[in-house]
This record gives sequence, structure tokens and C-alpha cells, in this order.
Amino acid sequence: MLKIEDLHVEVDGKPILKGINLEIEAGQVHAIMGPNGSGKSTLAYVLAGREGYEVTKGSVLYKGQDLLEMAPETRAAEGVFLGFQYPVAIPGVSNIYFLKAALNAIRKHRGEDPLDAIDFMKLSKKKAALVQLPDELTKRSVNDGFSGGEKKRNEIYQMAMLEPSLAVLDETDSGLDIDALKVVARGVNGLRGPDRAMLVITHYQRLLDYIVPDVVHVLINGQIVRTGDKDLAKQLEREGYSEVRSASQP
Amino acid sequence: MTEANRQTLLASLPTSFDLGPDWLQALRTQAAAALREQGLPTKRTEAWRFTPVRSLVDSEFSRDGDDVPTLLSALPEGVTVRGLAEVLRSQPELLHGRLDFGGPPAHFAALNTALFRDGLWIDVPAGSAVETPIEISHVSPSTSTPGVAYPRVLITAGENAELTLIETYAGGSAGQLSNSVVEVELGRNATMKHVRVHENAGLQIGRVDVRQDADSSYRSTVVTLGGALLRYDVRCLLQGKGAECQLDGAYLTDGDDHVDHHTLVEHQAPHCISGQTYRGIVSGKSTAVFDGVVIVHRDAQKTEAHQENRNLLLSDTATIHTKPHLEIDADDVICSHGATVGALDQDQLFYLRARGVPEDFALAMLTYAFVESIVDRVSHEPTRARMREALISRIPHGDEIREVT
Repeated sequence: MLKIEDLHVEVDGKPILKGINLEIEAGQVHAIMGPNGSGKSTLAYVLAGREGYEVTKGSVLYKGQDLLEMAPETRAAEGVFLGFQYPVAIPGVSNIYFLKAALNAIRKHRGEDPLDAIDFMKLSKKKAALVQLPDELTKRSVNDGFSGGEKKRNEIYQMAMLEPSLAVLDETDSGLDIDALKVVARGVNGLRGPDRAMLVITHYQRLLDYIVPDVVHVLINGQIVRTGDKDLAKQLEREGYSEVRSASQP
Repeated sequence: MTEANRQTLLASLPTSFDLGPDWLQALRTQAAAALREQGLPTKRTEAWRFTPVRSLVDSEFSRDGDDVPTLLSALPEGVTVRGLAEVLRSQPELLHGRLDFGGPPAHFAALNTALFRDGLWIDVPAGSAVETPIEISHVSPSTSTPGVAYPRVLITAGENAELTLIETYAGGSAGQLSNSVVEVELGRNATMKHVRVHENAGLQIGRVDVRQDADSSYRSTVVTLGGALLRYDVRCLLQGKGAECQLDGAYLTDGDDHVDHHTLVEHQAPHCISGQTYRGIVSGKSTAVFDGVVIVHRDAQKTEAHQENRNLLLSDTATIHTKPHLEIDADDVICSHGATVGALDQDQLFYLRARGVPEDFALAMLTYAFVESIVDRVSHEPTRARMREALISRIPHGDEIREVT
């Protein structure tokens, strides 16, 4: 599904990612853990196509295609989804109306007919229920006046609507209390499937109690220093990043 | 009945006025004298600094006879509409003191006062609450000879009266100037909603002057859709305790448009509230000006006044001048003002694109969202829908927005 090879990325001339190698198969959930400033969000943004991130070396193949060549909307149409760490508020653009535009643009890209208003609303109700997002919030302006938890639930609701092949979830747990975390995790788990891959980025192990990953990577200073199974996350929680970092030194 | 001889605006002023009641002759003589002495404004006139009036002042115009805006809707019950010329002939005393702005007018408003021939008087008597909007329009003709018209409207609303006025000013062919004046007199606790649309405005100088008695409410929404030269001035005098006014506006400019919006709110009495929200989308090589003044007089304690102008600058070759300001002589007031000029938010744009919305479409959504909130304040649904449609039709990729809204 996703193959990242020797990826180097700079922001404002400063190297942030220094040779990332990562391969995710369909059906797998990978977690990337790392301290602040390790380059986790940079990786997420590069995969989604945000401007300002310069790839100086390496490649990213998604379903065998060069992902880095695609515009952000093309990536979305091809099935890449980014769950934002800080979802932006867009006053004046209603959640549901922009999602309908997004979904129908993606359907068009796939050669499918657009959903009409009635089918779209039916689908929206079903998906909103999945993350307990009140119907009223789906109609409000995008993230405008939403609480932290509502914003994150809105991200997962949108993911459920768009049914991506590859979901990159950037610190979906940040700012959530335990009940909200459970709701969000349940929404994510509901979307796991044999055709879908996920890359879950987090600072804390806590999220991984609820979204259990197949593979865990530790990202420190722009490089993946350790890769293991879900027990690696537990070890990190016990010992901290500095222990894992020193243990990884040859 | 276009007059054959063409004249510059000032040269068309007569030296004496001998028609109509004495007070009107005196008013016109005074206006003409002031104009002869001061002339029309130039770039050195502070309030006209950014308005390129020179081309108007020096041009020759022929006078088109029809200054009267057209009444578009059937007249709702509880309203009377009469022609100003007819009232000035038969019952001039009814208009005495109502066509003079409460003080000598200056510049283009003085020119209108000196030269208007006819107009509309819309009266909603005390206690009459009219829900159905009254719609009027003034369309400049599409003739090749440069012409000038002086539309004139007087609105009077008695105690507890309510009305909604929808005005449309549409420009004709290039070189047609409309120099209009609307005066509004709101009695105690009267309510007026005023929607004004400038469509393809051509050359337009427009002035709205509102005098408000205690507890009255004036809410205005203006939508300006371009204009070769448009200058719109609205002044609210909050003369009675507890009066409130809300002035909102949205302007879209492109090409070589020049669009000026000026507001002046004077808090003359205590416990009055005023708000202003103007938003503009400025593209091409166009220029937009917002100049808003709030004056709080010494006795106007417990005033609340807010003023905001936000602009979206969509091209490197467009220009925005924005100048909101407050002059406060009272000490117990809540006042705020602010102005911004910016481009579209890149984080918002990326968010929409990352979800799959194509870039052009995302740009259109964000552009439309920027001004939609102004139109949302119009409570009359058919009018709101019409204004939305007018905005959408002028935004690039607006067609796609129409499909999903």
C-alpha cells in the first residue's frame, strides 16, 4: 500500500526527516511514536501534500504510484486521508456542504456518479452515529466553535464518510479525555479492514491501548530508531524515549 | 426628454430658483451658493481623497429627465408613496424641514438638493408595521451620450412604525452618472431594515442620511457588485436615547472598478448602540475604500459602538484603503474598531484540498464564505436568496458552489 524509501525532508532549509524507511501493507495498522519535534507531523504533512515541505531525497510510493507528484486533492481522491492534529476552523463553510463537495469530487475521480442529497444525508447520519457526533455539528461551519473532542470526532466522521485506503492519523488522541478517546478509538477500529491501512501517529502509548497496532516505530530526530510490535509501545511507556534511544545506539 | 445642451456638473447650476415653496428655493439657493464657492471635491478634500472624482467633475453630462426611482413591488398596506414633485406642488408644508439633512448639505448631496426635479416620498405612519418589503430601483439608461440623474427618496416612519426597503441601483452604459440621495426619518421606536444593492454600478454617487429618534432601529445591508466609480456614503444620527443602528456591507470588485464605502455614525444621545461590519473581496486592478467614522458626543454616555472592516485581497495589482476610526468625547462607553487586509487562509485551503476538494473549488468556497455572513443578516428570505445568487454569480467557480449549497 505505502512504501517510503530513504525520505529526507527539509522545512525552511532545515532537515527534519533524515532517511525514513517504512512499508505498510493493506490491512495493517502501524503506529509511529516519538517525542515532540521528532518529525512526526512533518511525515504526516508530507504524505498529505502540504506546501512548505521540501523533499530533498527519497521516494514515497502509494499503490505503486509516486505519491509526491500528486496534488493534495488527487491524493485524497486516490484514497489518502490525513486526520489533522489541529483541525482548522472554517467559518462560513458548512461541514456537510464541503464534505459533499469532497466526496463527490472523489467519486468523480473514481468514475462514479455523485451522491444525491438524500443518499448523502443518509450516509452522513450513519457515519456521524459511529463517533457520536451530534447531527447539528455536521451542519455547522467546519470546526467553528467545536470543542477539542468534537474536532477530533469530526475528523473521524469525515474519514468514515470518505472511506480512504490509507488513513494517516496525526495525534488524534491529543487533547482528549479518556471517554472521548474511547469514542474516537471505537470509530477508528470500526474502519479497520483488509483493504485499508492506517498510520497512527502519537506521542503517548495510551491511544494504542484502544487502537492496537500491528507494528510500532519509534521516530527520534527524523529517523526511525526502533521497530517492533505493540509491546514496544509498552516498553516506551515504562522506560521513556531516552532509554529507547540509547538502547538503539549500536 | 434628454436636454440637448451638455454641461459640466457645476455649470448646470441655475443662478436662481423660482419654483416650489420658498423654503425649497432658499435651500436650493444655499446649496448652489455653497457649491459655487467650494466647488466639487478634489483629491485634496480629505473625505474624497481616494475617490477619483476628477473625471466626473470635468466631464460634460446631459440631463436626463427621469430622476424618480421605480416602485417594483405592489405597495403593501399601511404605506403611502407619493411623488415629491406632486407633494411640493399640493402640500409643500408636509416636506418642510425634511429635505435638508438637518444642516446644509455639501458636495454631491448639495448638487442633488439643488437640482432634483422629482422623487419618491415613502411614508409609514405611526403604529403601522409593514412586513412586506417595499422595493424600488433606479436604473441608469443605456444611451451613448453621457447623462446624469439625481434620484431622490424620502422615507418617513412614525412612532412604532416598521418597514423594510429594498433598493437596487443599476448602472447603465459607461458615462451614465447617478447622484442619488435617500433621507430617512425614524420616529420613536420605529424600525427600518434597509437592503441596498449596487449592480454593475457604472458611475454612482449615493448618499443615505438617517435621523433616528429614541429607541428606533435602523439596520442596513449594502451589497456592491463592482462599479466603474462608486461612492456610497451612509450617515446615521442617533439623536434619541436608546436608538440603535447596524450598518453592514459586502463589496466585490474586479477589473478597473473603484468602490468607496463611507460611514458616519454620530452618537448624540446616551444609551445608543451602533455596529458596522463591512467585508470586501478585491481582485484584478480594482480599488476599494472603506472609511468609517464613529463620533461619540460628550453627552452620549453608555454608548456602545463597534466597527469592523475586513478585506480579502485576491490580486497583487488591487488596492485597498481602509480607515475605521473613532472620535470619543464621552467617558463611559464601550467602543471597538478594527480593520484587516489579507489573502485567503492557506491552512483552510489545505484542509479542504486534503479532503479532496479541488483547489479552484476550495478557493471559491473560502471566498464566498468570507462575504456570505453579511448577506446572512438579511432576514427577508427571497432577498437573501437573491443576494446570495448575485454574489455566487460573481465569484470564480461560483457555479460549483451553487450545486452544493
